[in-house]
Amino acid sequence: MRRTGSSGPVAVLVGLALLASAPAWAAGLEFYQTVNREEVGSEDTFLLTVVTVDAPADAKVKLPASDDFEVVNSSRSTQRSVSWSGGGPANIQDVTKYVLVMRANRAGKLTIPPSEMTTGGKTHRTDSVRIDVKPGRLGPPPAQAGRQRLPDPFAQMPSRLPDPFADEPEDEPTIPRGDSDLFLRSSLDRDEIFVGEQVTLSLYIYSRVDLSSVDAVTMPKLEGFWTEEVESPTQLSGEQKVVDGVPYRAYLLRRRALFPVKSGTLNISPAEADITTGFLFAGHRVHRVSNGLKVKVAPLPPGAPPGMSNANVGQWRLSVDVSQTRVELGQPVTVKVILEGTGNVKNVTPPKLTGPAALKIYDPTTTDKVTPQRNRVQGRRVVEYLVMPQRTGNFTLPGLEFPFFDARTRKYEVASTDPINVTVESAAGGATLPPTTSAHVADSANEQKNVLTSGGLRPVRYQARFVAPAEPLWKRGFFVPLVLAPLGLLAGAALLGGVRGRLATRSEADKGRQQAKASRKRLAEAEKLRAGADAGAFYTEVEKALHGFLGARLGGPVIGLTREAIGERMTAAGVAQERRARVLYVLEACDLGRYGGGGDAAARQKVMDAAVAAMEGWA
Amino acid sequence: MSEYYSPEEAQDVFLKANEAYAREDYAVAQAGYEKLLSHGHGGADVLYNLGTTHLARGDLGRAVLSLEQARKQGGRAPDLEANLAVARARQVDKVVGATAEEEFLPRVTAATEGTVVAWTFLGTWVGALLLLLVWRWLTPGRRTGVGVVAALLFAVAVPSGLLLAAHAWVEETVHEAVVLTPTLVARELPQPGARSIFEVHAGLKVRLLEETGRFVRIRLPNGLEGWAEREGVAEI
Repeated sequence: MRRTGSSGPVAVLVGLALLASAPAWAAGLEFYQTVNREEVGSEDTFLLTVVTVDAPADAKVKLPASDDFEVVNSSRSTQRSVSWSGGGPANIQDVTKYVLVMRANRAGKLTIPPSEMTTGGKTHRTDSVRIDVKPGRLGPPPAQAGRQRLPDPFAQMPSRLPDPFADEPEDEPTIPRGDSDLFLRSSLDRDEIFVGEQVTLSLYIYSRVDLSSVDAVTMPKLEGFWTEEVESPTQLSGEQKVVDGVPYRAYLLRRRALFPVKSGTLNISPAEADITTGFLFAGHRVHRVSNGLKVKVAPLPPGAPPGMSNANVGQWRLSVDVSQTRVELGQPVTVKVILEGTGNVKNVTPPKLTGPAALKIYDPTTTDKVTPQRNRVQGRRVVEYLVMPQRTGNFTLPGLEFPFFDARTRKYEVASTDPINVTVESAAGGATLPPTTSAHVADSANEQKNVLTSGGLRPVRYQARFVAPAEPLWKRGFFVPLVLAPLGLLAGAALLGGVRGRLATRSEADKGRQQAKASRKRLAEAEKLRAGADAGAFYTEVEKALHGFLGARLGGPVIGLTREAIGERMTAAGVAQERRARVLYVLEACDLGRYGGGGDAAARQKVMDAAVAAMEGWA
Repeated sequence: MSEYYSPEEAQDVFLKANEAYAREDYAVAQAGYEKLLSHGHGGADVLYNLGTTHLARGDLGRAVLSLEQARKQGGRAPDLEANLAVARARQVDKVVGATAEEEFLPRVTAATEGTVVAWTFLGTWVGALLLLLVWRWLTPGRRTGVGVVAALLFAVAVPSGLLLAAHAWVEETVHEAVVLTPTLVARELPQPGARSIFEVHAGLKVRLLEETGRFVRIRLPNGLEGWAEREGVAEI
């Protein structure tokens, strides 16, 4: 059987059904062509399939050619099937398919000319195929669209939370005319966004030829956007992608996050690139221009908190980090206001730190850390303040609020922090104001006052008492002598007293010795009278000599005392018994001699000897 | 008092230095105060002004040195203590555990004025001994009053003498200094290449223990010790 044409998929199905239900035709030649859609856009591609069944080996197939269409890609496949039926011989069937990816060059009702197959000098033709071409792009064929647009079971959920792991929607580029082997493609991950919301611009090279290098890339002018680099590969790294059935290698050149700063329809001009293909001397340089883009930017919905910036879009968290909450006067406090989350990190402005006048807040420094993840710009912005207490007391840094628009939930949210209490104490050694109660200070500190702080340098002294460098008092020359002088004086006085005492004692002894000497001298005078006629004078002189001697030795006169009294004094003075007896003998003999006639010379001599013996040896 | 300046001339130099300080010409002010000191016209007031000028110039080490010298010569004063507090607040070093091991005698002498103690001892001691002499010459009936007064004077003279001895001991044995250089390395041994133990910075008050070559052994108020370059510190 020979089939000579078909007008569409219906015919194909009918043909396949007849083929399945009538195995007797299987041995016959078949030759036909079909398209996968009857209506297509001028920018769309479609598939033309040319099928031969059991064609002879020498058959030559000529695929249709027309100025109205271009062939973007073509492929050929062959299939052989073997079947047995009712115990008869095996039925072998060879099927060859030619698949052409085509695109219309103009709009209108166009006709794809028939394919031709020449075999054995005979030419077979398929039917021509009519196709309705509309201007522009109609999208994928119904069967493909049905596959991609699966119903979302969660689409009707009342609160649809954002999926952080959701993949970026797959770009569906359009193969340009003329440069289908190598073209540049710009794409956005979404077409409609809010002011301040991120849209990601990706620039790809689609190529079916080998690339050597990309020499220059000119990014589009992005007027109306705040841009942040997300990805900028330094080496070409391709991935396989199929565009309208045509396999390509796609190379990412740039990826940028765009944050629109105004509403409306914003245009993104085409990007350009100079690309070198091939290897070494076989390569050549080509210039490619990408497609332009448009994005619809909606203004933020009404209900925004007053004063909120259009840049405050995304998901944000606000926190405050304080170095210390108890501080000495004169010591600074570092306060970090940290805003982190997803959004335009470098364009958001964290709330300004304020505080009472007693806490002087210096201009802050800002540091950003942007860490894009899954093509979304996120990170943290830290605003660091230096707070210098101006006086002691308890003060409060009020809580901060950061309103923002969450584009995913489409609601306004407010990130906030708690108030911070700071206690300022007196510095060690410093003269400061006494701490006051927190309530009083908190209230009064916010008032505009002439703040008289205790910090800072005290002024220089305007009057001086000039003093030469001097040694300590105890090192000066007069000090030690002055300390020792009274001691010396006291010692001198004591010494003088001692000397005087000793002198007085010495005179008494001398007196005694002199008296004793005088007594001995008188006794020597009595010796001269011993042989004389006047015995009374002799005895009187002896008695006087002895009285004088006793007076000197006993420390007092003894004249007039009785012999008993003299004996007691001698006893009291420790005079020996023998000496006492001699003394008393001499005194009694003298009394007897004076009043008893005087005695002879021998008696006088005896008295004289007793007197001498009594005096001798009496120191 | 001075080889070069009369009191009027010294006062003139002092006032001109003050005027320079007022117009923030700190270099001229410093030169003026230093000239007075070098010519024997020092004292607590000049030292205080010099320390304040150093502090205004940001020379923390010499500021603390001059202010401490002013305190040593003239005692405590509110403005002096305030500027010392400012200087301490600017210091880099924070000595942990500084007050725990401070010795008794230095604390006692720091709390008393050496000159007053010396005069008190001298007066009471001499008076008591003279009264003792008088007491000897008096007859027994007249000695009581003189003896009581002499005993009272002795009661004051003995503790003041002990306090004076403490002052003299501290004066001879305790040498306090201030770090002058911005950074001073304390080493394990008095050698330039010895292992460094810690670093101190300008304005810190240390104690000098011994000296060898161009190194001195310093001790921090918390007991930390090390050998440092002699030029980096100045004795108060």
